[in-house]
Amino acid sequence: MRTTSRAMTTRQTPVHSHHGHSKAQCLKVLRRLSAFLDDELSVSICQEIRKHLGACPNCEVFVTSLQQTISFCRCADIPSLSPAVKARIRREILKAVRYH
Amino acid sequence: MKNRRQSRRPRRQSVPADGANAKAFDRLYRAHVDRIYRFAQRLCRRVEDAQDLVQDTFLNAYRGLGQFRGDAQVSTWLYRIATRASLRLRRKRKGEPDRELSLDEFIPTSDGEFTLQIPTAGLTPEEALQNKELRRALHQAIQKLPNKYRLVLVLRDMEGLTAKEVGAIMGLNERAVKSRLHRARLFVRRELSARGIEEAISHGNAMQGG
Repeated sequence: MRTTSRAMTTRQTPVHSHHGHSKAQCLKVLRRLSAFLDDELSVSICQEIRKHLGACPNCEVFVTSLQQTISFCRCADIPSLSPAVKARIRREILKAVRYH
Repeated sequence: MKNRRQSRRPRRQSVPADGANAKAFDRLYRAHVDRIYRFAQRLCRRVEDAQDLVQDTFLNAYRGLGQFRGDAQVSTWLYRIATRASLRLRRKRKGEPDRELSLDEFIPTSDGEFTLQIPTAGLTPEEALQNKELRRALHQAIQKLPNKYRLVLVLRDMEGLTAKEVGAIMGLNERAVKSRLHRARLFVRRELSARGIEEAISHGNAMQGG
């Protein structure tokens, strides 16, 4: 299964140093990114994350793309239901209630 | 039967329980059909499925008017009915169980994966979403999510409900809502980053409608 094999790959990847810090620090930050973006973390943890983002271009890029994803979800517009379909659905419901 | 119009909760919008009737239903339908249709479209692959979901939701709401206790907002009650109806419809059509999303599967294992980025070249989200390809990619990514993750993402990030409200609708605690939301966002991010939408956007099609 894809989930399992990916998860295994992740676990088997050796933790190595990059941008002068351990990759484990990146993983710790990535696990908290939604809470960070939703402003749910304490000031000290936020400072810690900001400090990491300033020093780690990879995580900086990752957080930007996650923020964009959330913004797309929040801004995505949906066409509304036409009055004719609204009326049809209403009729169907009233019919169903009447006969069942 | 208790008459909710005499409720002592003036700030709550309540549905008259004595009127499981056409008049009360019409008020409910007029006030909430657009919201529920928007929700349904975000959950469903096809417009026809979204219309079916709206119909199921309001039919169940009509039948449950008498049971609505007024201890939640009408919109929350309708979201709950719609959520259940969508799970029923999905199960009927697909029949396969929801797979779990492990956080580990979203953790990049190489610098290349860290640097995946959705290329929208300095556009605002609204401007970027003028691009038909991006809109389609977003919709498809959301449709690929397992049900329980899709519902949380749509309710929280698209419908704009709080984690507490989402928890009440789905019967989850806030911690579980936040955990599912994080995985769902990471899933959609990966889908959008992995798709070949870069070319369409970076070649001057960003403002193309459709």
